[in-house]
Amino acid sequence: MTELSGHTKKFQKELNAGTSSLVLLSVLSRSKEAMYGYQIAKMLEESGPEIAIMKQGTLYPVLRSLEENGLLESLVEPSVSGPPRRYYKITEDGRGALVEWLEIWKQTKKFVDANLKG
Amino acid sequence: MYNTIEDYLEALKKEMQGSDAALTQDALADAREHLSLALDAASEKTPDVNEAAALKSIIEEYGTPDETASAYREIERRTSPSLKKGEKPNSFLGLVFGVYVDPRTWGSLLFMFITFVTGIIYFTWAVTGLSLSVSFLILIIGVPFMILFLLSVQGLALLEGRLVEALLGVRMPRRPIFAQPGLKWLERLKALLTDKHTWLSLLYMVLQMPLGVLYFSLLVTLIVLSLLFMAAPFIQLIWNYPIISMGFERIFLPYWALILMAVGGFLTLTLTMHLARATGWLHGRYAKALLVS
Repeated sequence: MTELSGHTKKFQKELNAGTSSLVLLSVLSRSKEAMYGYQIAKMLEESGPEIAIMKQGTLYPVLRSLEENGLLESLVEPSVSGPPRRYYKITEDGRGALVEWLEIWKQTKKFVDANLKG
Repeated sequence: MYNTIEDYLEALKKEMQGSDAALTQDALADAREHLSLALDAASEKTPDVNEAAALKSIIEEYGTPDETASAYREIERRTSPSLKKGEKPNSFLGLVFGVYVDPRTWGSLLFMFITFVTGIIYFTWAVTGLSLSVSFLILIIGVPFMILFLLSVQGLALLEGRLVEALLGVRMPRRPIFAQPGLKWLERLKALLTDKHTWLSLLYMVLQMPLGVLYFSLLVTLIVLSLLFMAAPFIQLIWNYPIISMGFERIFLPYWALILMAVGGFLTLTLTMHLARATGWLHGRYAKALLVS
């Protein structure tokens, strides 16, 4: 990835602040089983474009805050090698929020696209 | 730049300096989980991979310590602890009697009563575990037993932290702390024994019992006393029952004394509430100092 200027980085970070919650919630709503952070990061990396839009490290605090707000729930499971893994699962509240967020996202996208075309 | 995961965590810890200790502990736990999983995956793909080289590309995706640290701080800024600090009342009456509607008062009160029970459990667990650990050391089960016991202490410290955060509103760790992976039994025991955190948690657990007893007796005495004072006038007025009787002597108090008594009782109750809230505040600081490394 080429080095981005300070303004661009900041802009990307601010955009990510909202979208990462939406993406994480949507990924977990589609997954039948609970997933841990690394698994989610890998999945996003494989599905996403060549350029990494967000650093994987920034996903963890977002997962955590979603959990604190009751949209996700988590469970720690020990692993044979290495530290225990924290598995995240979407809650009913989370599914409700996702429906609303998707609608907002659709409208935002439409609004931004319409204005960028000029 | 970072040859091992520990190097990265060290740098992350430095970046997190100045932010909440509990938040730092969570950030380190997340980073350790991710980096070690990623490193495992990398060495599975190419068994003779250079750890430092693999880590370099992993960190490129995970983010540098300062990027990671700022992500945590940013989120923390937007999420508030469970009990927000109430608005500062500006009138004198609000300052004195606002204590009844302050959620922190009731949280502290509940916490102090709970401590009576948890204190006894912690104390028993700590003392039994410690003495059994020491006496088992001459046997073959000594080391594993001691490790299990010390790990349970860390677990209980985390649990107590959750309780403190919920009831006293002090930010405490939300993730367990991990020992370095891949250690042998004796090395693990050594790591646990040389960790300041283990001993401070143990000390906290032992001290919880006397504190719990103190809190409980103080609260019960004060609350019963103030309720009694408040109820006394009604008892004399309605049932014509003397408040004080010594031998055969029955003393009925005059009206003004009764009113004074009721007011005094209410003031004592208010004072007790203030005492509970202040104790909760103090205990929160104390718990943080001892339970968060």
